[in-house]
Amino acid sequence: MGNRIYNILFHTHTVSGIVISVALYVIFFTGSFSFFRDEIANWQRGHSVSQEDALPSSMDGHLNDLSKEYNLYGRDVELRHYYNERSISVNLGASKDSLASEEEKTPVFFYLDPEAKTKTNNYASNYHLGEFLYRLHFLDQIPYPYGRYLAGLVAFFFLFAIITGILVHWNKIVSNFYVFRPWAKIKAMWTDAHTALGVIGFPFQFVYAVTGAFFLLKGILMLPLVAGLYDGDQNQLFEDLEYNHPVYEFQNEKLDQTINLDQYIAEMKEEWGDFRVTETHIFNYGDQNMHAAISGYLGYDTKLNGLGYRIYKIADGSIEQEKVPITQTSYLDGVKNMMFRLHFGDYAGYGLRVISFILGLVSCFVILSGIMIWLVARDKKNIPEKRRKFNQQVANWYMAICLALLPVTALEFIIVKFAPTVNMGFLYQTYFPIWLVASVFFILKKDIAFTNKWTLISGGILGLLVPIANGITTGNWMWIAYQNGYQHILLVDLLWLVLGIASLWIAIFKLRTERAELTPTKG
Amino acid sequence: MPANKKYLTPSFSQRFAKITAAILGGLMVAIMFHMALASWFNHVAVIITSTFSAFILWAVLMVLAFLGKNGWKVWGMYLLASLVLFVIFYFGNQTNPLV
Repeated sequence: MGNRIYNILFHTHTVSGIVISVALYVIFFTGSFSFFRDEIANWQRGHSVSQEDALPSSMDGHLNDLSKEYNLYGRDVELRHYYNERSISVNLGASKDSLASEEEKTPVFFYLDPEAKTKTNNYASNYHLGEFLYRLHFLDQIPYPYGRYLAGLVAFFFLFAIITGILVHWNKIVSNFYVFRPWAKIKAMWTDAHTALGVIGFPFQFVYAVTGAFFLLKGILMLPLVAGLYDGDQNQLFEDLEYNHPVYEFQNEKLDQTINLDQYIAEMKEEWGDFRVTETHIFNYGDQNMHAAISGYLGYDTKLNGLGYRIYKIADGSIEQEKVPITQTSYLDGVKNMMFRLHFGDYAGYGLRVISFILGLVSCFVILSGIMIWLVARDKKNIPEKRRKFNQQVANWYMAICLALLPVTALEFIIVKFAPTVNMGFLYQTYFPIWLVASVFFILKKDIAFTNKWTLISGGILGLLVPIANGITTGNWMWIAYQNGYQHILLVDLLWLVLGIASLWIAIFKLRTERAELTPTKG
Repeated sequence: MPANKKYLTPSFSQRFAKITAAILGGLMVAIMFHMALASWFNHVAVIITSTFSAFILWAVLMVLAFLGKNGWKVWGMYLLASLVLFVIFYFGNQTNPLV
């Protein structure tokens, strides 16, 4: 690679990296926790989830309960399991019966907790810390669509930054892989850490950049496709990509037959083995033309892309339409499913998610070391004093905002354990102001070494307090959670225990850098 | 050591041309490429592939745009490529209309 190309790639890598750094750090830090979104939800509520990745217990039982409270006749009834939380989501469509009352003609949505038999009527009150961190991970707290598009562009520029980054480092990948000079000049240390961890994390980061860009920027991709290929007919695109439910006409004739979903599900499990039902959608409940669509997938141990469904006509129990999960998966289904599986890392048990969590935090470190390289590389005698002060301030702000996330997040885990009710408003009103105050405090200290040391120490101590807060408030101490098999609760406690110890260990034993090296040199 | 300035683009208009060609031109070519393919081949397979390949291609074109000597020439090349791909798409869409 010639000098010209090398320097251009280097410069574009620097500029794109420094522009997205803070947003990207937030995305990676909260994204790492989002691997355990559902575990955090259950930890916060003290729930243990008996059946994972599938709708729990008897469908007929749920329908029976629902019919006591709602007149289901003529409605579309959908029960869905999406997250591994105790609640499932219930969607009741508007009744198509012309004689139905106004109330029956309004669609209803709520979360149903089948164990406690309670309902949560809206999204905001079903909100929890896992959801908050998951949403922050694509900046969704900034109003739609700005936050998501911003996060999408950050993901895309991140893709650009890692491609230019790996190209800049290309000739030295092998020779520098084992180079680590912690006692050399500080610039060399940051560079070694940045490049070594950057190379190790590259495949991981590449997958997350591409899938993340797709999730958030699919609009700008699909818009021209719809306009050009489909002449503006978006519905046809959804049809081709198999996103649409079929439509069954309402016949307005009552069906004298009880629905027996559990029997159908048992039938499907018999034929398809390890099949997990995640959604049941009933069309025209109680009508002659009532149909039940039962969809799900095979457990990942059995098959990675085993998506399937079956639609029964209730009147005669015949199979109207089906996709068999145990046969060859179509390319379409494979890609659609893998984009999510690769991003969520949820197809290989806890091991994969723990590794992904660690690689996510490693990426955070790569981002921070990048900021530090940017700073120390510009701390030269030939650069005007004013300019150097400005650079120092930029890095100071960046580091304060990013590093404050660790203690703030740990503190939030403790707060939710002591708060009487935790909902969307509560999380917004605690997390953001605390983050602001912590950031401002560290910004005003104007000392990056101080910020680094004390965010690690406070984050470490608060992290260790998380399992204790959980034990005090719920009695689910780690050993009790272990004995009772409360995996989710134990996992979050352990996560903070290890994070806390690691943070303190780094802060106390590993931060031997002289503070003078982090402040601008005089002259 | 920050990148050596002597290799970087100094003028504003050149920088502007390269940045816009990288982001907008690159996107245009990436999308037209997939539309041209989709109009002639299995469109469902091409569209679902584009969910990842379009973003990778866009990013690669973005890198290439900065390597050119003249930003306006890069724009010219990306516009020409888009035009050629559009013609391919146009005839493909006429031959195998989807709607």
